Amino acid sequence: MRKRSPWLWVCALVVYAFLYLPLVIVVVYSFNDSRLNAEWVGFTLDWYRKLFANDEMLLAAGNSLLIAFVASVVSTILGTMAGMAMHRYRLRLLPILVLTPIAIPEILMGVSLLIFFVLLNFTLGLVSVALAHISFCIGFVAIVVRARLSGMDETLVEAARDCGASPLQAFAHVTLPLIMPGVIAGALMAFTLSIDDFVITFFTAGAGTVTLPLQIYSMIKIAVTPEVNAVSTLLMLLTLLLIVIASKVSPSLLRSNQEKAPS
Amino acid sequence: MKKLAIVLLALAALPAFAKDQLHLYNWNNYIAQETVKRFEDFCKCEVVQTYYSDNEELLAKLAAGAKGYDVLVPTGNAVQALIRGSQLKPLDKKELPNLKNVDPTYLNTPFDPDNKYSAPYAMSMTILGYNEEKMKELGLPTDTWAAIFDPKYLAKVKGRVTVLDSPDELFAAALKYLGYSANDTDEKHWKEAADVMRKAKPFWAAFNASSYIKELTVGNIWLVHGYSNDIFQANQDAQAAGRKFHIRQGLPKEGAVLAVDSMVIHKAAPRPDLAHKFINFMLDGKNSAELTNLIGSGNPNLDAQKYIKPELKANPAIFPPKDVQAKLEQLQDLKPAQRRLRSRLWTEIKAR
Repeated sequence: MRKRSPWLWVCALVVYAFLYLPLVIVVVYSFNDSRLNAEWVGFTLDWYRKLFANDEMLLAAGNSLLIAFVASVVSTILGTMAGMAMHRYRLRLLPILVLTPIAIPEILMGVSLLIFFVLLNFTLGLVSVALAHISFCIGFVAIVVRARLSGMDETLVEAARDCGASPLQAFAHVTLPLIMPGVIAGALMAFTLSIDDFVITFFTAGAGTVTLPLQIYSMIKIAVTPEVNAVSTLLMLLTLLLIVIASKVSPSLLRSNQEKAPS
Repeated sequence: MKKLAIVLLALAALPAFAKDQLHLYNWNNYIAQETVKRFEDFCKCEVVQTYYSDNEELLAKLAAGAKGYDVLVPTGNAVQALIRGSQLKPLDKKELPNLKNVDPTYLNTPFDPDNKYSAPYAMSMTILGYNEEKMKELGLPTDTWAAIFDPKYLAKVKGRVTVLDSPDELFAAALKYLGYSANDTDEKHWKEAADVMRKAKPFWAAFNASSYIKELTVGNIWLVHGYSNDIFQANQDAQAAGRKFHIRQGLPKEGAVLAVDSMVIHKAAPRPDLAHKFINFMLDGKNSAELTNLIGSGNPNLDAQKYIKPELKANPAIFPPKDVQAKLEQLQDLKPAQRRLRSRLWTEIKAR
């Protein structure tokens, strides 16, 4: 390894501090023995205890996880298909249709989805939120998958077909493993986008449907308690766990540049 | 995929088989747990709450056509907007015998004559909140808007004062200070009010509508322009944290803005029968008092007085005395042209 200038280290440190310090503070203050959470008072696990006794918060967290899970699975499947189609065929309209939800302001999308559901006389609830999340996650998955595909060596698929693989076999045994890091990255992205979405969820959620962001936001009026820190800490742990699992399933995900196809 | 679709459909159909439910669209922490429990036992139903944190949120969502809510608890001017948009179902007074418990001062408002649509739930006032020990030490008055507007007093607390980051509230306070109505729309009076604010601004630490409770509790800020419930909360937190000072509510003698949250029934309410039961239940003195005991909200219910904790009873911000009541005003919506003018004045104040 070449020697790097100390400046690089300083810059890296500052950037990492900027990215992670706020998260560390959230975690530390979840153990703070003060309802107001303005300054450090003392260590306590009370907030975690309160959190696990708080049915509303748990219901909201459960809803968020369920929606994020369904939304990421469905949008990963559909998004991968869209990414493949955009890569393989020179379609004009498809990229526009798939990618507009990314560019469109969230509030517009939220209001129009609400009006759409009302027009259909569709009961607002978990399902409408999940559908809304799927619709905006597809675009993100498709972009990531397409990027991965354009870095892939097409001749590998042709070779598989020459050796007698059916199109489906070629996809399952050659294409999919090669784009797997992209698919997983897309799924993780969909999961995170879904779990912290507020605006679209707010409009598409029905009476009695609460997700974590909605719950936390409605608490702002009465001052956010460290319970919110506690629930955020648990969510961070979950996200960390997902990343660890993802990197185990597909070790190349976290260092994908090493096996990029030579272009 | 097919399986998933079936699961999704089953989920969608699920609520239809559940037991009787009342859908309450409310502010967070705006009803006591024990009240909900008692109502559930009484009506043999389940109360499902969804929350909003801003009247505009509620209005936006309903305007776009959201349905499924039975009872909403918007503030005065939002009730006005909902009535104008014909979003509400008229109340059936026969179902609401407890309406007689409400102090007549808060009934028959200009935006809902004869309470055709709304029944008062709870209220808050926009007043002064202060650090009792500090203000005494400095010898500053806490019963007048002059405390946050007059440079002669402000000079002693420079950088320790915050005012709400809300043109509605701050203009109303300045107009009251000048002796006008909070709903005065005379351009000349507005300019006078803007002038008062411009002179006071250098002494203010911030325009703050969100973290001022915390700052007051910790002791960084000594005097605020804020909501009575928040100030009550600040003192509770300060005492719980063992601070060496008290946070008090100061009701200015010039009068203040009053915000009454009222219960209304949405026009597409799935269960208007339960909604009426709930409204009548909440108009009962005991149930109404439980909310006040929980968050220190002002209470429009005369019957609630006997259930209020003794230490809260004497608080003028919870049951304003008659002479103060006369000086409290509910804010009314501005016309678009007026709103534009005031936004311009507001921007000028904040930009300087």
